[in-house]
Amino acid sequence: MMVALLPLVHFGFAALSLAWGRVTRELILLSLVFDAVLVGLLSAGLSQGKPLVIVLGGWEKGIGIELAADRFSLGLTILVLLLGGAVVAYLWHERLRPYFFMLLHLLLGSVYTLVFARDLFNIYVTLELLTLVSFLLVGYERKPYQIWASLKYLLLASLGLGIYLLGVAIIYYHTGTLNLGLVAARLAAEQGTPWVLLASSLLVTGVAVKSGIFIFSLWLPAAHSSATPAVSALLSGLVIKMGVVVLFRLTSAFSLSLPLLVLGALTGLLGVIYAIFTYDLKRMLAFHTLSQIGYITLGIGIGSEIGIAGSLEYIVGHGLFKGLLFLAAGVAVQTAGEGDIPGLIARRAKIPVSARVALLVGTLGIIGVPPLAGFCGKSLLSAGVQSPVIQTVLILISLGTVASFAKLIPLFRIERGPSSTWPVKLAFVILGLPIVLFLPLARLLVPAAQLSLSLHVLPFVKSLLAVGGGFLLYRLLSRRPFHLPQRIFRLEEAILVILSGFFLIYLLSVLG
Amino acid sequence: MRRSSLYMIITASVLVICFCALLMMIFDYHGAREEAGAAYIERGAIDTGAANLVSAIYLNYRLFDTLFELLVFSVAVLGVRFYLAEQRGSEEEVARIPESQVIRTAADLLFPPILLLGIYLVLFGHLSPGGGFGGGTVAGTGLLLCAVALGADVVARRFHEAALERFEWEILLAILLLVLIPVLLGRLPFTDLLPRGRLGSLASGGSILIYNALIGIKVFIGTWVVIYSFVRHRGEI
Amino acid sequence: MGAINGVTIAIVLFGIGLLGLILRRDLVIKLLALGLVNGSTILCLVSLNARVDGVAPIVHSQASAPYVDPLPHALVLSAIVINFAILALALVFVMLLVERYHTTDSQRIEHEIEGERIP
Repeated sequence: MMVALLPLVHFGFAALSLAWGRVTRELILLSLVFDAVLVGLLSAGLSQGKPLVIVLGGWEKGIGIELAADRFSLGLTILVLLLGGAVVAYLWHERLRPYFFMLLHLLLGSVYTLVFARDLFNIYVTLELLTLVSFLLVGYERKPYQIWASLKYLLLASLGLGIYLLGVAIIYYHTGTLNLGLVAARLAAEQGTPWVLLASSLLVTGVAVKSGIFIFSLWLPAAHSSATPAVSALLSGLVIKMGVVVLFRLTSAFSLSLPLLVLGALTGLLGVIYAIFTYDLKRMLAFHTLSQIGYITLGIGIGSEIGIAGSLEYIVGHGLFKGLLFLAAGVAVQTAGEGDIPGLIARRAKIPVSARVALLVGTLGIIGVPPLAGFCGKSLLSAGVQSPVIQTVLILISLGTVASFAKLIPLFRIERGPSSTWPVKLAFVILGLPIVLFLPLARLLVPAAQLSLSLHVLPFVKSLLAVGGGFLLYRLLSRRPFHLPQRIFRLEEAILVILSGFFLIYLLSVLG
Repeated sequence: MRRSSLYMIITASVLVICFCALLMMIFDYHGAREEAGAAYIERGAIDTGAANLVSAIYLNYRLFDTLFELLVFSVAVLGVRFYLAEQRGSEEEVARIPESQVIRTAADLLFPPILLLGIYLVLFGHLSPGGGFGGGTVAGTGLLLCAVALGADVVARRFHEAALERFEWEILLAILLLVLIPVLLGRLPFTDLLPRGRLGSLASGGSILIYNALIGIKVFIGTWVVIYSFVRHRGEI
Repeated sequence: MGAINGVTIAIVLFGIGLLGLILRRDLVIKLLALGLVNGSTILCLVSLNARVDGVAPIVHSQASAPYVDPLPHALVLSAIVINFAILALALVFVMLLVERYHTTDSQRIEHEIEGERIP
């Protein structure tokens, strides 16, 4: 019951925020407290080990809509709470209309629904709501580049979800149900038949557009870098993860390991390559989101328990440090008046100290310095991987990550600087503390046995080597600026790439 | 209109044709399935008391989806108003269609039946095709007819005086409470606020009637707000 | 390929809409094409279990013919409203862009935006 309550409460608060425009900030704070209580109750209910399942309306699974909470979703709700709290703190002193808070509540409500969703059409409707809300949030300030970025986002996402709906039609026609559990049961006998592969490819293509997988989410660099920092933090840290969560749920019904592995590798590598050669801070962070999604997708593609646990740790960890980085970058760009990294470095005296510390913590996290958040996730992922090819890919992505963040080093010299307001500092602490003290958090997310796998000497050494190697790489590459093709980010080309991606997925499903 | 480059046309056509061909060949579609929807057909009327099985599904079994759809609708209305209300908009009054006796008489004659049709669709949504969305849209476009006859600004002023725009999200809140409170009380079935009644009569179908009515009003108001925003702030190239 | 039925037509329309979305430069026509794409998905859903001898799924006491599956119709209701919302909001944004750049050509707009903002 709590499961259904979480999203519904947020929708209620959304309407209330419109009604009482003057207390919107207190309302959203109240809603987060409420959520925390509900999540606490939920985790108590889950401690028996079996997932909590309800079907809304009390009907059976095949007829009503099912929502289920398992350990995975619990981890995600913790991320929602932390990121939500940080964003509220960050925005405390800004003047925003009640409309903005309503959109925030709707965003949180839809995210909660997706965390628990198990019904194909429910996922479709929720993803559409999430698309619309994100689209409106990105375009909130009405600057032309924001409007164009969000329009591209809407068109591509809508196309993707149309493709998803075609997949749902095929599945419903052949299995007669929309519930993922029942679909999995009815498909068990028919794996490998052409329509199953086609339907799963359509579904994956549709969701991939929203998940941040490189080939499909070409709208992401523009959209996430144009939005206001708080919105970017929410989008990169939270919303995009929901796509991957849905992909994870889909793997329970379809066998998707080869497509996911290939897509994850592609996303991770292409994302870091673009990130290394991008010199605008927010755009680089957006490319980074793409590549870290590659990590998570690889973990899901592996499919083993350790792989999934690693992905969950990384989802939470990445949400934390990408959120922190975006918030800090927002402060930095605002105070320095410049979005380019060389410009920021030149004007770093204007950037508040707390923002620079936050950037440092976020960078350390994302690089994978032990024992911070990133390290735990990455080592757990590598522990779950058998094949040497994937190990190499993981190492390459780590090297690339370090290399792309190395250009921020001059920013980190802690000199005197102005200080930012206390809510902003609070936001940094809310996100930064769990990054640094990730281990206790990880114990909540992942069973202890698996956790200990990642805390040996070998992963420590590997990560330090990766950091060192990345620096060398950066040194090598920084001499020759390289211009990567930017044409694929245009609208028409992006659609063509999505179509080609669909064929790629289909081919991989047939082969796998 | 300039053409896209040749390579784009060729690539796009090839990809799209392959996509469609793949779909058509592999869909494996051979007509309707025999037992399609059997569960709903057998139990729908008994469980919910509504004769219209589609209403039974989207206002009872799958009410959660309808809730999201309503939220999408509300967000759209609010978004349209938020963005367009701040545009410069046409400074002069919305241009009126030249005064025409034919249009005024036709509107006078037609508007009441249209409204009545909308109300009928909404109220009888659980017995025959229709429902809140269809009925609300019919009534909303009836208002558009009024706007054509009387002038959009006149209608908008009346609308504003009746404070109907704010009413819209209050209705949303009401729907949310209807859904939320049974969950809070620990009972999952949330559609039994009215009796099920005799199948086929107006007083049947549980709270489907309430939902249809609320949705109908909401869609009516929302449709008008969207139409008027576009008319008033139509911008220029 | 099977006989001409709703699903086949839906797929063809989907392709036409997709081509329009890619190849036409005018933003408003792109929106129409998107509407066509979404509409074809809806057509596909509705005609999934449609049958010539079927009867609308409204329960009477004299049930002579087999009832058509009601679930896709319920799904389609949601899908139609969602498509309306998408088109309305996309149209608003197109209006904002057109007002700013005085053209409905997507390539020109993209060009101007890339020029304004240093990548």
